[in-house]
Amino acid sequence: MNKRILIISADNLGIGIDQVPYQHFEYLKYPVLVGEKEYRESETYSASWLLERFVKEKITAKSSSLSRAEMTDLIEKNVNNYDLIIQVVMGSNMSAATFNIAEEVKEKFKDLIPVINIDSRQVVGGTGAVLLRLIDIIKTTDDDETIKKQAGELVTNTFSYYVTPDLNYLNRGGRIGKAKALLGSVLRVLPVIGLMGDDPEGLIIPVGQGRTFKQVNSLIINSIREKMNEKKAEVITVAIISGDESKRDAIDDLKREFEGSIPCKNLIYGKLHLVEAIYMGPGGYSVSVCMK
Amino acid sequence: MKNEIAEIKNAFDNISKYFWRHKEYVNRLNVFPVPDGDTGLNIALTIQGALANIPVNLPDNILPGDFLKLISDNMLLNSRGCSGVILSLFFEGMTEVLENNDFSRENILKAIEKGCVTAYKGTDNPREGTMLTLMSELKKKYSEIMTIKENPLELIIDCIPHLKETLDKTPDMLPILKQAGVVDSGGAGFLILLEGLEREFSSRKIPETLPLSVALKINSLLKDLLVKRYLRKKRSDTGTLVQNLGAGNITNARLHNIVHNVQQYLKNRTHNHNNKYQAREALIKDTKEFESSWNPDIRYRYCTELTVSSDKNIDSQALKEQIINYGDSLIISGRGNTYKIHIHTNKPDSVIKDISLFGNIIFRKVDDMKKQHRNFISYDSIEYEKEQSIFCIVSGEGFKKILQSLGADYVYDYGKRKPSVKKLVDLLNSLKSKNIIAAPDDGDILMSLKYAASLCKANVFIVESKNAISLISLLMGKTNEINKTNFLFRDRINNIKHFMISKSAKESSVDGVAVKKGDFFVIYNGKIFLSEKTLKDVAAEAINKLLNDESIITVYKGLHVKGNNLAAGLKNKFPGLEFEEYYGGQTQYHYYITLE
Repeated sequence: MNKRILIISADNLGIGIDQVPYQHFEYLKYPVLVGEKEYRESETYSASWLLERFVKEKITAKSSSLSRAEMTDLIEKNVNNYDLIIQVVMGSNMSAATFNIAEEVKEKFKDLIPVINIDSRQVVGGTGAVLLRLIDIIKTTDDDETIKKQAGELVTNTFSYYVTPDLNYLNRGGRIGKAKALLGSVLRVLPVIGLMGDDPEGLIIPVGQGRTFKQVNSLIINSIREKMNEKKAEVITVAIISGDESKRDAIDDLKREFEGSIPCKNLIYGKLHLVEAIYMGPGGYSVSVCMK
Repeated sequence: MKNEIAEIKNAFDNISKYFWRHKEYVNRLNVFPVPDGDTGLNIALTIQGALANIPVNLPDNILPGDFLKLISDNMLLNSRGCSGVILSLFFEGMTEVLENNDFSRENILKAIEKGCVTAYKGTDNPREGTMLTLMSELKKKYSEIMTIKENPLELIIDCIPHLKETLDKTPDMLPILKQAGVVDSGGAGFLILLEGLEREFSSRKIPETLPLSVALKINSLLKDLLVKRYLRKKRSDTGTLVQNLGAGNITNARLHNIVHNVQQYLKNRTHNHNNKYQAREALIKDTKEFESSWNPDIRYRYCTELTVSSDKNIDSQALKEQIINYGDSLIISGRGNTYKIHIHTNKPDSVIKDISLFGNIIFRKVDDMKKQHRNFISYDSIEYEKEQSIFCIVSGEGFKKILQSLGADYVYDYGKRKPSVKKLVDLLNSLKSKNIIAAPDDGDILMSLKYAASLCKANVFIVESKNAISLISLLMGKTNEINKTNFLFRDRINNIKHFMISKSAKESSVDGVAVKKGDFFVIYNGKIFLSEKTLKDVAAEAINKLLNDESIITVYKGLHVKGNNLAAGLKNKFPGLEFEEYYGGQTQYHYYITLE
């Protein structure tokens, strides 16, 4: 690789920043609003801090798009040190504002440095999976067009499955999409929702529902197997499991089932950031897989 | 380039919307090859499906030719019905030529030519008087006028008047159209698409057609008048009515002629004594033929569509040979490792089995054309609003709410009185859904439901569920499994371990279990499992015996249970388990209890 390439993303990857194996990586933090007050991820204000307050204090929180000024500053700071900047952005249908900001910033710097914006069509681990595989790609090529083409293939081959015990958290954020059908059950159910990279609409879809963690974990594993058959994928290249630590038993069960039945080159046990707690809600966890 | 692609996409969207508004007009014309009455809907869904599957973020450097090819590929995979497939084949042929991004009038002619070749080649037993004829005429006319203008789009629009004339002649090419008094529906659909293209320049209006049910009613009135009433009455209200009918408003050509002839007959009857009898007989024959043309013998009942995909290239000739003898209207389209198959057959299961030898079946659709025909000719025909609905029949207000919240589209709570066949037919028709997955909570309703399914107008897929828990089980699990194109949902009804508790009205000994009058007993897997004096004891004993690695016990209380919190009582006995209690409202059992 001759070009100096900087990758920029944000703190909604489903993995810790220290789990990103790339030296030239920068990230922005999503603003989280609790009432009037704005928070950013820190040692104090973590996902578990917010999840606990959800349960104990019944607070509501919402996220905002990334700051245009912060994104501009970050690129400005690095523009002379690199030949190419790649931004891995959360799905444009999940946050059109963030993707638009990324596009505007790209336009602003077009005469100074090429910027590739990758619409991951994902959030949480899905964006993380696209990022990790992108790092593999740039080890083999630094040609802009090839990177764009291969990144496009990554996006359409990345799939996320979320167990969200209370869908109202997602609904309040306006991101529930087609999973609205799973809202308002009289029975206490565990809804499973998904973001399918090959879905051009990029909306959250209902995957199914179960009554126990065992049932929904099996449902997720079956759905992944079905998707692998459809995509004719023999192995998962990278998988990220992350979620609310208070549901460690359920997450461990999913991890065991996954390891026992899905061939995977790189299974990562990630972590949630502050902003991701808003999407998932208390008790939520997810697995994202890339098949390319 | 992005703007150019957006313009093309926008034009396709507008044409699709235009067609969608006129799909009912096309539906009403459909009589070939059998009157399945959904040509309009099939074309509309074919185009809509193609557009919906275009990725949101296309590569910046995509060229118009590549974009059209992308639409074409999507169209083929999303095509429905004969007309949808033929249209996709035509577009596929065109886009193969246009991939070179040459949009000159000469290359567009080549594209239309290739489109025709692909559509004719892909249709088994191609017949004139159909959409194929209009495609072929488009090619001829375009070629004829090509030197007049530079702009190929304008040239295509200039072909429209000629294509209208051709469409009007389709009844002369296909006797069945003439009998029915309509033009070909697929051809009309093709023309509407071209008019949609023209509408990008100016607005147009499609003429309204008489609904078939009304046309048949008028025909029946005329027949009655000629056969019975007129013989008996000198002055007839019907006769006056018929004489005052505005034949000019009747767009169905055949019926228009009949009405006109009957009016002439009535007018001249007093002057033409010698031929009166013969003329009346000829007119009665006409009305009977018109009626019978809409009640054809449907030789192959099921319109079956499949998409098969394989790791390797599929031998389309071998595929054709494998299934050609199962029916007619066979169309095989596609290339490489993915093919779409359309056939009318009486053995859809055998077709599906044989095609699965060639790869994985990734889409399937089986429509009962007799049902569709019945809907089509019916006076109270249904305009479907949904592709699929889930319909549950259950006793208990509580279960009704639970099932609705789990995703059932309609739940009928029959309380104590099981629904009649007529009630079920009315309910099924009221859903306005083309396909209905229907599931009752009692095996005793299955027979009525099966009979109702045969009488209603939708395709009904019956799930042989026998209690309320199996309905909950049906709605749990993967959402995409509850789909008419996928019969997996039928196996889901037994996924939840459960038992029922009832109170014995008499002393008995069944299945080796003695039950005293007034005791509570448990039914598990259709048999009496055990009995005890108290409700709590019988529930606890059953849980004890049936529990393996389950963690949640759910109690569904019946209508006649008063003030008893069974779940709380059981929680004391099984502190390690989670208990939940809901109101089911069922009349038959005191409790349903599930172990999950």
